[in-house]
Amino acid sequence: MERMKDYFDSWLKSQEQVFGNLTEMTKKYQQALQGFGGNVGGMPGLGGFQDLYNSWTTSVLHALQGSGSADINLLKETISKTLSGSNAYLKLYEIWLPLLKALQERAASPDSYKDMTDPAKYKEMLDRLFGFDPTLDSRITEQVSKLFETLAGSSQGFTKPWKDATEKTLKSFPSLMEGHPEEFMKIFHTLFSAFDSTIGRTFHVPAVGKDREKIELLLRSLDDLSVYLARKTEYEHMMYVTGIRSYEKVIATVADKVSKGEKFTKFDEFFDLWLDVSEKAYYALFQTQDFSKKQGELLEAQLNVRQHFFKLMELYLYDFPIALRSEMDDLYKTVYDLKKKVKSLEKQIVEAHA
Amino acid sequence: MKSVLENFDVKNFIKEVSEVSTKLIKGTENLAGIEEIDVGTAPKELVYEEDKLRLYHYKQDGKVTCGVPVLIVYALVNRQYMLDIQPDRSIVRNLLQRGMDLYIIDWGYPTKSDMYLTLDDYISGYLDNCVDVIRKRAGKDKINLMGICQGGTFCGIYSALYPEKVKNLVALVAPFDFSTNDGLLFSWAKNMNVDALVDTYRVIPGDFLNSGFLMLMPFTLNIRKYVDMLDVVEDRETLLNFLRMEKWIFDSPGQAGECLRQFMKDCYQDNKLIKGELRVGDRLVDLRNITMPLLNIYASADHLVPPAATRPLNDCVGTADKTLYEFKGGHIGVFVGSKSQKELAPTIATWLHDRDGEGHTKASPTPEHTRTAKTGQTTPEKKHSPKDKGLNKTK
Repeated sequence: MERMKDYFDSWLKSQEQVFGNLTEMTKKYQQALQGFGGNVGGMPGLGGFQDLYNSWTTSVLHALQGSGSADINLLKETISKTLSGSNAYLKLYEIWLPLLKALQERAASPDSYKDMTDPAKYKEMLDRLFGFDPTLDSRITEQVSKLFETLAGSSQGFTKPWKDATEKTLKSFPSLMEGHPEEFMKIFHTLFSAFDSTIGRTFHVPAVGKDREKIELLLRSLDDLSVYLARKTEYEHMMYVTGIRSYEKVIATVADKVSKGEKFTKFDEFFDLWLDVSEKAYYALFQTQDFSKKQGELLEAQLNVRQHFFKLMELYLYDFPIALRSEMDDLYKTVYDLKKKVKSLEKQIVEAHA
Repeated sequence: MKSVLENFDVKNFIKEVSEVSTKLIKGTENLAGIEEIDVGTAPKELVYEEDKLRLYHYKQDGKVTCGVPVLIVYALVNRQYMLDIQPDRSIVRNLLQRGMDLYIIDWGYPTKSDMYLTLDDYISGYLDNCVDVIRKRAGKDKINLMGICQGGTFCGIYSALYPEKVKNLVALVAPFDFSTNDGLLFSWAKNMNVDALVDTYRVIPGDFLNSGFLMLMPFTLNIRKYVDMLDVVEDRETLLNFLRMEKWIFDSPGQAGECLRQFMKDCYQDNKLIKGELRVGDRLVDLRNITMPLLNIYASADHLVPPAATRPLNDCVGTADKTLYEFKGGHIGVFVGSKSQKELAPTIATWLHDRDGEGHTKASPTPEHTRTAKTGQTTPEKKHSPKDKGLNKTK
């Protein structure tokens, strides 16, 4: 009897370990892919700003939790967005401060205004507005390579070459892109091919079966990620360039007004000018076929990553006693067909009685 | 040239910025004190339900003066309570006050189990069943349809497929010609891999669509709106109005994949509806079958559904009694703007009253008119404005 108990204890522990590993693995993958979901379509969650908001509003939200409001999530989100909007207002002021100081000290001429703006701060503001996360690329490559090593059952750093090469290429990507953006997709495919034909060979051992399928899918996913990162960089580059150009236009407008002796008495005038000029600049960008095409490509790249992620998860979860996504799809289809049939029969009965 | 210093009031700038911070703190406190954001409060009763769909009948306190009931069909995107967002900005309440008998569809929130629902299921299934329920309750062969945005497109398609069940058709800011690139959504949709989207998500999350809407005016919708809100945050009623709109904007149901797939590909990408090539189920949609009176309302500054997408409907229908109505405003203003309450609701009520009789009235198409329309030539249409006294007369 005691022996049997020990056996089941040991079995239970091993099961716990299996599920523990599975949970950890899923968590890793979710963390790795988190950035994709929130920003589908290129538009923001609030990125790192969300963290700031979370800590700042903790006490208020606690009070809100206790109020029993039926619309707590909406209120929470509205506070978040208000904070975000106000932050942009304050951030703009921060960006303008050096300029204002120079004006106060009579140290500036209209032509030198734009040299006094900190582009890093401006980029930070655009990142927040559009939900870009500057650390996302390196976090993705880091986490995904760890995950893939886990999935591939490897502890020998098979994916390190891919990770290193990708990170290195990403760093040089924005400057390279000024020339011929279309060429840079090739860089990533070359990376993939290099990886596949060297280190990747190790994965090609099983000739057939699920293991082969898993490994091929893993490799495919690396390629997808490369494409996604390339598309994302291309897209963000386009957004930054537009942001900086519109900002320069704001400065030029201010310089022009100053040279004509017009008076600015309110910061809101700057704020309104900045909003109007920026909105128009982005609208002009969004209207172009090039933007529409690039946005479509970015979305497709995100979707490819997701699709392969789902397939991978299915392969790894296949042996567990849980319903898989594709099995649920089949079930939903059966329910849909049956419902349709029942509704049609019910209609026929009613018509027959009429 | 004056000294640059004379052009700036730095002290005032600092004061302004610190005021924003103060308002922000105060605003957060006030927001936290809001208990409930009530929307869609006009009394109504549930008269039919099927899967996740609910059909409601509004309670009429006054006298019904328009005998044919009106079914309001809203888009699958966002929620139908936009038409009754708050008591003093409610097209529903306005129409009820003008003697209309109103029904409204709530499409519900699709889940994964709804992923296979098609355009045919929505139009020849749910919508047709609702029309039949109302016809039966009212004892009428035909009812009035009033479709908004995508709901207007659905009503147009339905009217072309089932003209025998529709007395009058009112389309508000509804797209029919998708070839335009005037609206960003129309341009962006053309470069979207819809198959990949649907195959990945099955039911497309509402947040995905919302992110697209916010991208249309990122600075206004993500920054200006919330900074401006701080100016009204101490006025509880104004703040509540703001929050009602926020609730509506972000209350976005997911989209059943198969239906979205066909709508995006056949309409946005291939523009099949206006070309007469759209198939719903096994039936071809021929807009020339819209032989009942048509009131087509578009908004001149609509950035979501531009006039170029709405206006062409009148050139394709088979009825001679067709009215193209321009509302000076934007897409959302059509439902909630104070101008719309004064202008649009009376216009719609009057137009429907005028066409309420049996074998209806003033502008029945003559055989010649109908034939002319069927050959593809347009008949002279009436373009009304609020100044048109006849149209604005309320019975």
